[in-house]
Amino acid sequence: MTKLLEVEGLAKNFGGLQVSADISMTLNAGDRCALIGPNGAGKTTFVNLVTGVIPPSAGTIRLAGRDITRLPAAERVRLGLIRSFQVARLFKSMTVREHLELAVLQRDRRTFRLFASVGKVAGLADEVAGLLDTMGLTQAAHTAVGSLAYGQQRLLEIALALAMKPKVLILDEPAAGVPHSESQRILDAIDRLPEDLAVLMIEHDMDLVFRFARTIVVLAQGRLLCSGTAKEIVADPRVREVYLGSRADAR
Amino acid sequence: MTSVAERPDPMSDPVSRHTPPAARRDLGWIGIPLVAAVGLAAYWLLPDDLALLTRIAASALFVLSLDLVLGYGGIATLGQAAMFGTGAYAAGIVAVNWINDPFAMLAAGGIAGGGIALATGALILHARGLTLLMLTIAVGQIVQEVANKARDWTGGSDGLSGIDPAPVLGLFRFDMFGRTSYLFALAVLVAGLLVARRIMRSPFGLACRGVREDPLRISAIGGSPKSYLVALYAVAGVFAGVAGALTAVTSGIVGLDSAGFPWSAEALVMLVLGGTGRLYGAVIGTAAFMGIHHILAASDPFHWMGFIGLFLIGIVLFLPGGIASGLERLGGLLRRKEDRA
Repeated sequence: MTKLLEVEGLAKNFGGLQVSADISMTLNAGDRCALIGPNGAGKTTFVNLVTGVIPPSAGTIRLAGRDITRLPAAERVRLGLIRSFQVARLFKSMTVREHLELAVLQRDRRTFRLFASVGKVAGLADEVAGLLDTMGLTQAAHTAVGSLAYGQQRLLEIALALAMKPKVLILDEPAAGVPHSESQRILDAIDRLPEDLAVLMIEHDMDLVFRFARTIVVLAQGRLLCSGTAKEIVADPRVREVYLGSRADAR
Repeated sequence: MTSVAERPDPMSDPVSRHTPPAARRDLGWIGIPLVAAVGLAAYWLLPDDLALLTRIAASALFVLSLDLVLGYGGIATLGQAAMFGTGAYAAGIVAVNWINDPFAMLAAGGIAGGGIALATGALILHARGLTLLMLTIAVGQIVQEVANKARDWTGGSDGLSGIDPAPVLGLFRFDMFGRTSYLFALAVLVAGLLVARRIMRSPFGLACRGVREDPLRISAIGGSPKSYLVALYAVAGVFAGVAGALTAVTSGIVGLDSAGFPWSAEALVMLVLGGTGRLYGAVIGTAAFMGIHHILAASDPFHWMGFIGLFLIGIVLFLPGGIASGLERLGGLLRRKEDRA
């Protein structure tokens, strides 16, 4: 198996406040991993560290064997480390189709063509049509995102990430804001992602986590608590204590 | 998590939400032929006002350059005249000293305008908002002051005169009635509109729209917002430089006010009047502003600016998208009636 993402001893301090400490994990090709943990466990900080939004205080991050610890965020994206956003972050006045066209053109670095017509770029229309089809967005292709239903915006987020041809895809609460009854459509879309991709999903909803993940990593108070298969995690008393248990008690 | 109010009926009914490509594009399609047709009609209907019409055409090209920067890139600027003035002086200096072919003058203006935009844009475009606004004003002041000091080349505060362009294509002389001037300016404007439209429908134009809406999201898909903005600023600089050169060709004189702050600000007023982000909105705004100016200044030379002010307030309050958005709404209403019939 090819190791796509290797994180070693990752840590982040804000002044004296330690928000992440000594996190190590590995994602292989084809992994479907969920990152869980109670509120304030440092999940978002971890994503920001890995994607290069904030620099780590210590540790290394390797993408497909290459050290990317000091690379800027946009450069990591070009190397295939792609994330989707927790709150759909899209270009409101642009249509669904234009989003995907822009993402594909950007990936191929063809955005500095001043006199080409977007409609005539070779292969673009077919690839965009394929992406629309995969995500079930074909009918909404010409809708401006500002007037798109929220669930479809979430699907478009995933489609955008997919358009970048990722090696590692980080989905930050892909079903956030979507009612429980509709989350299956998001999961279906995630199921259609290419098999050789490593997918890391940050998620609160345990139901979604168990339906998606083959392996689970648990964060608590900025540290890696444990990792393993879904069954092992459920059985682990420490996890029950910090996360599942406290939630069950709350109910 | 977002608030509940922000997510009504998720996933529901994608078909009824599907609307045909935005109505504004329909008018965009007829916009440029319309400019050409109205421009030619004006040539026959208003033969005594050709000087004014020529100024409108050249100014519209300048306002168009501002629309590229502001309407498509979201760059707030009050220094667009720096590129206009540089282009005008470059064309004038080339004509006086070396070659007076009108197309060569336009090329000189475009290169100079694009060059100065590229150089200053790379320096200032990391800033946003008010800081950027101040920096653009500063660039304009510097260009104006350089032109003022370089008397030997620019004529300083007396202006650069003695520009005598050769006949267009060696065939059409610039006559004293301004016929050639006007038709030349109109042709350059229409060509500019076509090129601008082409660029804004290119992959580059798409990326620029993305930068305007959310620069961080562009970074998240691997793009560099600043390089798009600098490139767009340079492209718009070429347009502004050509517009300046066009003014030099058709008026035969270049003054310090061509790079001045008031000219940048006036262009902004014209663009907002006409409507941003549409290209032809720049033409409508320029024609409305300068037309009203012309009529009111003749009948009431002391208060015309007051009327322009009232007009602007009215537009901003009741038609926030400018005159062009009003026309689009009108077009949308007519289409709906046709659909019903």
